[in-house]
Parts: sequence; C-alpha cells; structure tokens
Amino acid sequence: MRPFLVRLIEDYWGILLLLFAWEGWVIANSFNPIVMPTPTAVLNDLVTHPMVYLGNVGITLAVAVFGLVAGMAVGTGLAVAAWFSPVASGLLNPLTVLFSSVPVVALIPVIARLLGYDTSTVLAIVVIITFFPSFVFASSGLRQPPPGSEDLFRVLGASRLDLLRRLALPAAMPNLAIAFKLAAAHAILAAMVAEFLMGTTGLGYLFAKTKSDFQTEQAFGASLVATVISASAFLAAGWVEKKVRERYT
Amino acid sequence: MKQTLLGALGIALFLAAWELVGRTQLLGISWPPLSDVLGMLADPGRRSLFQRAIGATLDSTAMGYLWGTGAGLALAALAHLVPPLRRGSDRLAAVLNSVPSIALGPIFLVLLTRESTPAAVSSIHVFFIVFVSVSSGLQRATPAHRDLFAVLGADRVKRFARLELPAALPSLVSGLRLAWPAALIGAIIGEWFGAPRGIGILIINAMQNFQIVLLWCAVLLAVGASLFFYGLLTLLERAAYARFG
Repeated sequence: MRPFLVRLIEDYWGILLLLFAWEGWVIANSFNPIVMPTPTAVLNDLVTHPMVYLGNVGITLAVAVFGLVAGMAVGTGLAVAAWFSPVASGLLNPLTVLFSSVPVVALIPVIARLLGYDTSTVLAIVVIITFFPSFVFASSGLRQPPPGSEDLFRVLGASRLDLLRRLALPAAMPNLAIAFKLAAAHAILAAMVAEFLMGTTGLGYLFAKTKSDFQTEQAFGASLVATVISASAFLAAGWVEKKVRERYT
Repeated sequence: MKQTLLGALGIALFLAAWELVGRTQLLGISWPPLSDVLGMLADPGRRSLFQRAIGATLDSTAMGYLWGTGAGLALAALAHLVPPLRRGSDRLAAVLNSVPSIALGPIFLVLLTRESTPAAVSSIHVFFIVFVSVSSGLQRATPAHRDLFAVLGADRVKRFARLELPAALPSLVSGLRLAWPAALIGAIIGEWFGAPRGIGILIINAMQNFQIVLLWCAVLLAVGASLFFYGLLTLLERAAYARFG
C-alpha cells in the first residue's frame, strides 16, 4: 500500500491544483461572492444547507436513472428487432448513423415544445439521449459474434431465437457495456440541461433559480454536486464495463 | 447495393413521415411540416440572419476544437512521458468532463469575455474526448517495436516522437471525429450565456417566443453543420487507418 498522502497527491494532483488555483484566483482578484465564490464558500454552503440540495438531487438522480434504464431497454430492444429483420436494419442503419452524430442538446428545446414543460419531458429527453448510443452499440455488437460460431450454430440446427439468446446477445454484451458507460455520465448532464432550460425541478432548476437570485454559492454548490455524481457514475460505469468485458470475452 | 437502396429508402420514409405529421398536425403545432422549415431556410430575407448565426457558432466551435485538441494532446503526452502523473491526469479529465456545461458557462464568463465563452465550453468537451483517445492510442505500439527502439539506442523522447505518436494517430483521428458534435454542443450551450449571436441564441430566442418554424430551422442548421464536418472527419479517419492502422 502506498502511504495515504502519496496516494492522494498521485491520484488527485490535477483536481487539487484546480481547486487551489480557483481559491487563489478569487482571493487575488477579490471578487464579490455574487460574481465568483471561493471553493471553500461553496463547500460551506453545501454543509450548512444540505436539505436544499438533497431533494433536488433525488429528483435529478431518479429522472436520470429511470431515463437511462428506459433508453437502454428501448435501444437494445430495437436493435434486437432490427437483428431479426434484415430489411428493418437496412432501413434503420443510415438513420441511426445520422442521428448519433446530431448535437442532441439542440433537440432539447424542440422536444420541450412538443411534450410540454414538466418533469416527464426531462425524462423523455434522457430516454432519447441514452437511446442512440445503446441502439448503435447493440446493433454492431449483435452482428459481431466470434468468427465461425454462427455457422456452427446453424449446422447444429439452432433456431433464430436460440442464435439470439445464446450467441448474438452474449456477443453484444461488451458493446452494451460501452454504451452504458457513455450514457451513464450523459444521463445526468442531459437531465440537468433540460431542467435548466425548462425550469421545472431538480439540480438544473436549482442552478438556474439560484443563479438568477444571485445566490451564486448555491448555484456552484448545485454544479459541484452534479459534477461529483456524474464523475462517480462515469467511474462506476467504467468498473461495470470492465467486469462485463472480463465475463463475456 | 441493396443496403444502400434500403438506407436511402429509410431516410426518404423518415422525411416523408416528418412532412405528413406536420401537414396533418398529428403532434400539434410544435411539429411543422418539413417543407415549411426548408422554405424558411431558403427565404432570401432571412439569409443574412442564418449566415451570421451559423458563422458565429462555427467560429466558436472551430476555436474550441483547436484549444481542446491541443490541451488533450498535451495532457495525454505529459501523462505518458511522466508515468507518476498518469492516475491524477485521468481523474482530472474525468472530473472536468463531469462538470455540467451549464455551470461552465458562468465560470468562463468571469474568466474570459462573452464572445469567447462558447469556444471555451466547447474546448472542455473536445479536451476530454481527445485526451481519452490519445491516451489509449499511445499504448498501442507493440512490445516488439519498443524493444527494437531500445536495442537501437533510441531515448525516451525519440521513441515517443517516432514510434508512439504515429501509433496513436488513428485513435487521435477517431477522437477528432467524435469530438466534433460534442464541440458544437459546447459552443451552443456556451452561447446561452450572453454571446452576441449564434445558433444557440437563435434556438433560445425562438423557443421562448414560440417561433416554432424558426426553432426548427436553427436546429436543422446545427444538425447540418454537425453532419457535414462529421462526414469530412470520417473520410480523414479512413485515410489515417489506411496509412497508420
């Protein structure tokens, strides 16, 4: 085991540097806290008003998790449907390539206008944003079983359903794990942007409201909480991806 | 050949469905027919508005793209050449990528000017993607090649410049391709924080003033800009894989 201090510096030198630079920069310029608070002031606000954050964190987290699960389910489901029908996959392929390179954030105002300004719209946006990577990655994964294995299955008389259950789906698992990693961090940030634009509930709303009320410390607190959640989601998803890859390859 | 035909048919069906849904107002007035949107895009009276908006956004995106690529390359190279820094730089990149873009806006507004905030937000998005792809690309040189370089007496820097950097090129180009839509998103979000003009401004104004067709025009422009450069970068990626892959 490395000593604690060495580990702390080795693993977090970049983040610590950033925080110190931020603190020093605010003090050196003697900014008004309304313009730019110090990280210590932000942390202080987090500790003194935990309840303000907690409720909104719950909402954003719930929306992000439900949206992520639903988006991945729909994406994988459609990929499996397309796998069964070559015509359907031929029709859908270029469309999904197009859509996966579309700047999705630009679509949020359109979806908001279509579905109305409330929390269910935020959920729909997260579903749509997590749908694309899972569909694209699941489709390509389903089509890449180990060379020759598909012939073996056919020779042994496996039905199309057996082929899906025992060969194509397991072969697609590592790809799905990558999609999960990409979508997990995105889900929270997408939920926040949507909440920010529509002003409903959650961390994004808290950010927009406190910022326009000049409670800058709380606005930064909300961002800090979102950063921590999203970074943890990214790290956790990376761990899941590694486990899945070890299990299925 | 059959795949291409099917694909073209799929896109045609999608566009036809869009037009039909708009004509019949199946989804209400928020979904205009495609022809109305294209009509407004082609309207000569609005051309200068659209040109100024997309020009400003592309400027910011290109700037952010360059800054982000430079920063991503620099940190990845530093972490590669000085291994003790590696874990810390991975975490720094992951955390920077996790800061919500809407929070980056106000920070850069204080650090920089209103005009350069979009480029700065965009550069953070690009930075992460380039850093991740280059870091993994730098590991791609095979042990046999490394041994050869050692035997021939190449030092650390020479090995980096002649072996590891060329080996990382395909990953870098893949990263550059994926970073383009992310750069555009960053620029659009950055514009929400007081930029004088741009697609992001057009989107927000149209959304708040219920100018539905204009909103769709702005979104289509953003999508077009994304797809056009994404296509170009895909071609570049193929060339890089053919040469260095």
